[in-house]
Amino acid sequence: MPTSTLGTADGQHPERPLSAISRVIGTRLIRFLAWLGMIASLTGRCVSSARHKFELGLSLTQVYYIGIQSLSITFLTAAFVGMIMTLQFQWGLERFGAALYAGKLVSLSFVMELGPTLTAVLVGGRVGAGMTAELGSMSVTEQIDAIRALGADPVGKLVVPRVLASVISLPVLVMIANVVGIFGSMVINTTSVGITPRFFWDQVVTTVDVSELMHGIIKSVFFGYFIGIIGCAGGLGIRGGTVGVGLGTTRTVVVTSVTILVGDFFLTKLLLPLT
Amino acid sequence: MREYQSGDRIIDFNDVCKAFGPKVIYRGLSLDVYAGETLTVIGGSGEGKSVMLKCLIGLLKPDSGSISAFGSDVTRMTERQLQAVRRRIGMLFQGAALFDSLTVHGNIAYPLVEQGWKDGKLIDERVAEVLELVGMPGTERMMPADLSGGMKKRVGLARAIAVHPEVILYDEPTTGLDPSNVRRIGKLIRDMQEKLQVTSIVVTHDMDSAFDVSDRFAMLYDKRIVWAGRPEDVHASHEQVVKDFIAGNIGSA
Repeated sequence: MPTSTLGTADGQHPERPLSAISRVIGTRLIRFLAWLGMIASLTGRCVSSARHKFELGLSLTQVYYIGIQSLSITFLTAAFVGMIMTLQFQWGLERFGAALYAGKLVSLSFVMELGPTLTAVLVGGRVGAGMTAELGSMSVTEQIDAIRALGADPVGKLVVPRVLASVISLPVLVMIANVVGIFGSMVINTTSVGITPRFFWDQVVTTVDVSELMHGIIKSVFFGYFIGIIGCAGGLGIRGGTVGVGLGTTRTVVVTSVTILVGDFFLTKLLLPLT
Repeated sequence: MREYQSGDRIIDFNDVCKAFGPKVIYRGLSLDVYAGETLTVIGGSGEGKSVMLKCLIGLLKPDSGSISAFGSDVTRMTERQLQAVRRRIGMLFQGAALFDSLTVHGNIAYPLVEQGWKDGKLIDERVAEVLELVGMPGTERMMPADLSGGMKKRVGLARAIAVHPEVILYDEPTTGLDPSNVRRIGKLIRDMQEKLQVTSIVVTHDMDSAFDVSDRFAMLYDKRIVWAGRPEDVHASHEQVVKDFIAGNIGSA
C-alpha cells in the first residue's frame, strides 16, 4: 500500500495552504499592530519628554536640515509638476474648448492634493531616510546608550526636535510648493494658450478659497508627523550593524510613502465634508 | 555626595536572570561590589559581561532578580529615576561611543550641560582638566573621526569622569588597542582609582591588563558568577573553569 500523500516521514501532517496563508496574514497583522503600538508609545514619550524639557536649539537646527535644506527639491518638483499638469489638463480640456481654464483645475488640485502629498512623499524620502540612517548609526555604535548613560533622554534629544521640525517645516514647504506649482502652471498657460497672467490669477483667486487651502495645510501637518515619527522610530529600532542601517533606511522610505498615501485617503475623507 | 565608607557594599546583583529571546544570558547571577575597589569581571566572549554593566545602569532590564546601586533597586526604577543613578556612574563604552557630530569638547561638555552646568568658562576649565587627566590636553577642537582608537577611549573616559562619578564602568577598555595604548589605558584606570577614589568595574577578557588594574576578580561563566577572589588567588583557585580560562582553554568564542 502506498504511503499517504497527506503524511510526512516524521508522521506529521503538512500544513494546509489555507492555514499557511492565515498564519502569514496573522503574523503580518501582529507585526503591524506591534509597529502601531510602538509608534503610539514613541509619540507618548515625545509628549512627555517635551513637557519635561524642551530643546529649542536642537529643534531649530532640525528645522534648518529638514525645512531649509528641502527647499530646492520642493521648488524644482513643484514647478515641473505644475507645468506638466497644466499641459495634461490643457490637452484634455481642449476637446471641450476649455483649455483656457486649465489653471483653475491645476491650482485647485495643487492646494488640496498635489502640493501636500507630493511634497510629503519627496521630503519624506529625503528626510525620513536621513533620520533613520543617522539614529540607526548612533544606535549600532552605542551612542544612544551613551546618551542614556550620561543621564540624558534620547527621545527628548533626538526624536522630539526631529518630529517637531517636520511638523513645522512641512506646511511651510507645502505653501511654497503651492505657490511655485501654480506659478509653473501660469508660465505654461500664458505661453501656450496665450492668456494674460492677470486672467490666470483671477481664475486662481476665484477658484481656490481659504478652506481649500487649509485642507492641504492640515494634511501636511499630519504628513510632517508621519515623516518625523516613522523616520525616528525606524532609526531607534535598528539592530544588526551597518546592514541593519541599510535595511532600516529602505524600510523607512517605503513605510513613510505608504503611510502618507494611506493617511491621505483617510484625511481627505475626513476633511472634505468640512471644506 | 558620597554617603558610604570605603569597603561598604554599594552595588549588589542578586539572583539576576536575563535572556534575549531563546538565548539565556544569566541564570541566577549574584555579585557584590564594594566602595573604592576595582573589580574586574572576566569571562569569555558572549558570556554577557557587557550586559551586566548595561543592566546596572538600567539600559537593559533583567527578567528577574534585583540590582541594587547606592541602596536602591535600579530594576524597579522609571527612566527618569534612573537618570539620577546614571549621573553617579560613569561608563566607558567598548567603542567609546563618542558623539560623531560633536567635537572632543562637545562630547566632554555634554554630561556637564545635562547636569545643569551653565557657566561656559567653568565648563571649558573642567573639559581642559579632564583632558589633561587622560593625557590629551589641547585636543578640544578635534572631531571623533580624527582620533585613533586609543584616543577615542581616552576621550570616552574623560567624558565619563567629567561629572565626578562615584563608580566608573569600563566595557572592554583595552579591546582593539595596540600594546602601548593597552598599558596607557591600564595606567589610567589605576590613576582614576588613586586620584579620584572611585569604585571601578572593568569587564574584559584581557588577562594581562586585568591583573594590572584589579583589586578583585569575578569570573562569569555558564550564566553566573562562578568564582570571585583576589588576583593573587587566581592561580591557586580550585575552580577548574578559572584554571582553564587563565590557561586560555576557554573563552574565545
